[in-house]
Amino acid sequence: MMTGERFGNDRDQRSGTSGADPTELLRIENLAVDFPTDDGTVHAVRGVSFALDEGEVLGIVGESGSGKSVSMLAVMGLLPMSARVSGRAVFRGRDVLALPERERRSLRGRKIGMVFQDPMTALNPVYSVGDQLAEAVRSHEAVSRRVAMDRAAEMLDLVGIPKPAERLSAYPHEFSGGMRQRVMIAMAVINQPDVIIADEPTTALDVTVQAQILEKLIEVKDAVNAAIILITHDLGVVAGVAGQVLVMYAGREVELGSTAQVFTTPRMPYTAGLLGSIPTLDTTENRLRPIPGAPPSLINLPPGCPFSPRCPLVQERCIVDEPDLQETDRRDHLAACHHWDRLAACDDPTTFFRTGAGIR
Amino acid sequence: MTDTSPGQAPSLAPGALGPVGDQPEREFTVTARTSGQMVRRRFLRHRGAMGGLAVLVAVILLAFTSIGFGPVDGWWGKDYTRTAPVVDGGQMTLDLLPFVDGDGLAVGEHPFGQDNVGKDYFALTMRGTQRSLIIAFVVGLVSMLVGLLVGTLSGYFRGITEGVLMRITDVFLTIPLLVIAAVVSRRWSGAGIVVLGLVLGLVVWVQLARLVRGEFLSLREKEFVEAARALGASGPRIILRHLLPNTIGTVIVNVTLIISAAILLETALSFLGLGVQPPDTSLGVLVSVYQTASMTRPWLFWWPGLFIIAIALSINFIGDGLRDAFDPKQTRVRA
Amino acid sequence: MIVYIVRRLVVSFFILLGATALVFWLVAISGDPLEDLYADQSPNKEDKIAERTRRMHLDQPIPQRYLTWLAGVAKCVVPGQGCDLGTNQTGQDVKVLLGNAAGATLRLVLVAVVVAIVIGVTVGIVSALRQYSGFDYTITFAAFLFFSLPVFWVAVLLKQYLAIEFNDWLADPRIGPVPMIALGLLSGLTWSAVIGGERRRRLTVFGVACAVTVLLLLYLLAVDWFTYPALGPGLVTVFALGTAVGVTELVSGLHRRGVLHASLAAAGVGIIAQFVLAGVLEDPSWPVVLLLAASTVPIGIGLGMVFGQLDKPQAARAAVLTGLLTGTLVFTDRALSAVHGYSQRVNGRIVATIGSDTPNFTGDFWQRFIDTVTHLALPTLAIMLISFATYARFTRATMLEVMSQDYVRTARAKGLTERTVVMRHAFRNALIPVTTLMAIDFGGVIGGAVITENVFGWEGMGTLFINGLERSDPNPVMGFFVLTATSIVIFNMLADIAYAYLDPRIRMS
Ligand SMILES: Nc1ncnc2c1ncn2[C@@H]1O[C@H](COP(=O)(O)OP(=O)(O)OP(=O)(O)O)[C@@H](O)[C@H]1O
Ligand code: SF4
Ligand SMILES: [Mg+2]
Repeated sequence: MMTGERFGNDRDQRSGTSGADPTELLRIENLAVDFPTDDGTVHAVRGVSFALDEGEVLGIVGESGSGKSVSMLAVMGLLPMSARVSGRAVFRGRDVLALPERERRSLRGRKIGMVFQDPMTALNPVYSVGDQLAEAVRSHEAVSRRVAMDRAAEMLDLVGIPKPAERLSAYPHEFSGGMRQRVMIAMAVINQPDVIIADEPTTALDVTVQAQILEKLIEVKDAVNAAIILITHDLGVVAGVAGQVLVMYAGREVELGSTAQVFTTPRMPYTAGLLGSIPTLDTTENRLRPIPGAPPSLINLPPGCPFSPRCPLVQERCIVDEPDLQETDRRDHLAACHHWDRLAACDDPTTFFRTGAGIR
Repeated sequence: MTDTSPGQAPSLAPGALGPVGDQPEREFTVTARTSGQMVRRRFLRHRGAMGGLAVLVAVILLAFTSIGFGPVDGWWGKDYTRTAPVVDGGQMTLDLLPFVDGDGLAVGEHPFGQDNVGKDYFALTMRGTQRSLIIAFVVGLVSMLVGLLVGTLSGYFRGITEGVLMRITDVFLTIPLLVIAAVVSRRWSGAGIVVLGLVLGLVVWVQLARLVRGEFLSLREKEFVEAARALGASGPRIILRHLLPNTIGTVIVNVTLIISAAILLETALSFLGLGVQPPDTSLGVLVSVYQTASMTRPWLFWWPGLFIIAIALSINFIGDGLRDAFDPKQTRVRA
Repeated sequence: MIVYIVRRLVVSFFILLGATALVFWLVAISGDPLEDLYADQSPNKEDKIAERTRRMHLDQPIPQRYLTWLAGVAKCVVPGQGCDLGTNQTGQDVKVLLGNAAGATLRLVLVAVVVAIVIGVTVGIVSALRQYSGFDYTITFAAFLFFSLPVFWVAVLLKQYLAIEFNDWLADPRIGPVPMIALGLLSGLTWSAVIGGERRRRLTVFGVACAVTVLLLLYLLAVDWFTYPALGPGLVTVFALGTAVGVTELVSGLHRRGVLHASLAAAGVGIIAQFVLAGVLEDPSWPVVLLLAASTVPIGIGLGMVFGQLDKPQAARAAVLTGLLTGTLVFTDRALSAVHGYSQRVNGRIVATIGSDTPNFTGDFWQRFIDTVTHLALPTLAIMLISFATYARFTRATMLEVMSQDYVRTARAKGLTERTVVMRHAFRNALIPVTTLMAIDFGGVIGGAVITENVFGWEGMGTLFINGLERSDPNPVMGFFVLTATSIVIFNMLADIAYAYLDPRIRMS
């Protein structure tokens, strides 16, 4: 498992500060995404807000289906036509969601790069890697193919692909998964973007190459001086590299704060549950403590807190009244829970999820 | 790091999570709706398929109840073989446009008109529809059985069996259908339509066999088959319990398409004189016989044609609905 | 890859060999080839029977007859020996019969296949990009309808209604106000559905298309265009420049100035060429036309190199395409100009309903071309409908599948224009399965051609085949079978090669 030490903990100091900070790069306000389907409207994302500073690393965690990818794709403008997006995504003072398609396109790949989960399918099988990299350059800059190819080779070198000039003419199927993900990273940063959105960049890879790829991603980010939004299931990674963490549950943002605070003093039972499910060396007899149950359907959301059926702290109010995201004991630590104070009153919040706890 | 995994949440019964129907379809809630129910639900929601089904059932009912079938008499009094004096130039008496000439809906004596010798054309068309339908469904059935058999054998056993069967399939694919139809129609012209259907079915199974084989080849590599084999399941058991059920979607969809193609095939053969032989009739025979009438007495040309189209079109829509229903990838998003 | 293709060819050869034996046997047993002679009343009946028995080797067992036939066919592959496909019942050489018939049939089949592919694939792409739009639903329904149409029924329909009514109309071309408005609305609906966009844009497109269509029809009627059709240098120029812009938009987008200039230059060269080459175009021949078409390739590439700036390859491609299309415009213009003269020769019945050409027709190149086209029109349409539907549906499904692939999302994430994403990333990948369909569909089209020839009275291979079948006469049937089966094998091979060319994963294995 990844641990933070490898990357150094200096980034922890750049904890998230909302508000009109002069170095603020991207601010998401009340982002929501609905998908109309035959079975009803899927409320995939219901109110996500955060701010990202230049050079910062923000981690987004949450169960599968909690809306992490959809919210980031909404920012990129990559959702299917049927998606209904609302809210604001202010990038350097301009709301990208309100921009005409033409200008959004010119931001994509140039100012905001993206790395996807599955490198095996993310590259076009019929074009050489060099072509696909050069294309990213030439769609934003009027340069000759040769110049673009030179840049591509440079980027391949940066992400650690040996003999980059020769590999330009290779096709994706000639690369291994890890190598392809390196190519994807090169593609995301080839135009020196300000933000890189990395959607589970290592999930599909071998455990042995996961660490290398992450390390490379952070290294490259520093080389081009970009901020990163890192979606991951790996809390160890978040602890290691992210300054801020955003926790999502059932399409909602349920906790936001600096990594140190969220990890040591979670203010939302779901986060506590997630933390409790990390296997650690000292608790051998009870290695995995999963949160029992499954997230609710995103079509017919029951009233009240979406986590209430699984929450050990659930009380009357939780079932009727959905908690807002609000400040907790610290101004910059937000959580959506009526009873965060009960967590605060407890030394180790993860204990609520120990066997037999809670469910009535 | 999995947040929840199916095996790790034994303490919680599904019911504790609220109404089961509200759960998203995930691994741990598969019990909520079996795949058969899902398929049925998706099929029943498919507007095109439902429309097609309604039309097809209507046509079948009309064809078989009107003039009767075998010993059973129908409600339409006239016989398709009986000649009668030609009334009013054989004009059709059916009137479905009450507002155009103002005399209201009418069926009349000869709704589809009469042919040259005064046979009731409605009865003839119904007879033709019956014959065409029977042939098409026989073709569908036979090709399904043969296709399944050959596809299963070559997909499961591989090796020599597969090689031989697939080469035979290739040869069948190469032979022009018309040649086989010619042999049947000329040598066994008296044998009747079921034989024609049987023989055509014995020719068109090829596509299906290839599809089934393809499915088998990919399925046999899947974990659950490996597991069954490791547990010592016998070959037939693996085929029947694990492989066939998983190909059912492909088979049903393609048999549907074969049936709609068979309708067209029969009519085309009959049109060329290589299918159903007079005095028996089919929709293709009717079009062929009356094609020259299309200018002077167009209804003789239109009715059988319209019935061919109605049948083939409705079956095609049903096939489309089935494909959508069986293909879990397709979650139709309303635009 | 080459090994793979060669191996497939060898396998195909043996399959064909097996199939020929089977087909020969089936035809031979299908009936008594002497049947018609039994009823013969003439005194030399016995002689006739004896002669046919000798000619068809009816005294020999079927396998021996087959081997005789096979030995004759084997000479086709041995150089220096003439082909011997045997004779038919009445002693005519099948090779000669087939030679005459094949031209007509292959023309029909190839035109139908090409037109079906071009239109079907285009419509399929548009309907995938506009999924669940009115256009998409219309095309889906039309495709299902076409799948369900009996070829022969449509053929009769086209013959009796379309051809005859159209010819009658041409005798006195007039469009009443109601049909005129209907045509305008139809055009408006189609264009607004195809171009799509938000409501305002669609309304604008609808209005403009409506108005343009109606005005165009009024203008055409006013200048008696339907009697004396032609484009004229003016329209050729306008269309050629429009083509240049359109091609640029498709190939690279208009913002690539180099590409635009190269295409415009290509259009310009074409426009000038129609005057310079006026003498040649007066009465050319097919070799000349093909030569002219071929010469656009180097000229286009040259223009691409000169004007291309940063995008030389794209500019060359666009220039070649524009050049070819401009050439087609000029060609169309000339051909249309010949219609009036042709019409007078055939008493105004322009759209033909019988045969593959007017018997004993002589005329200049253009009139002969028109003669061919008007005879091809209806049968092509009849065969094409099903093929078109197949391509449209299949392309639509494939495009939808491809458009949901991760690499298309990656392409969008790079900030490529929608045009590049669709044409370069999605369509290029969708082409791979579509090529396989081409090989499969080809056989179906040949089957459709047999029936269509029958309805339209073409003296083609289908007729040869059907006649042979009816008389249990194996040789003509075998001639047809060998020729079509070989062409199917060749088509499959071409599809394999195209497949390998399109897909690097296969090319390299
Ligand atoms: N096009 C769509 N139409 C309908 N629903 C969709 C669509 N795309 C996503 N969803 C739904 O939105 C929800 C959120 O999905 P999302 O991909 O954002 O989850 P995630 O948090 O990224 O999960 P994972 O960790 O598995 O990547 C899911 O329930 C999904 O079913
Ligand atoms: S609001 Fe209630 S149910 Fe929801 S997380 Fe907090 S305590 Fe649990
Ligand atoms: Mg995701």
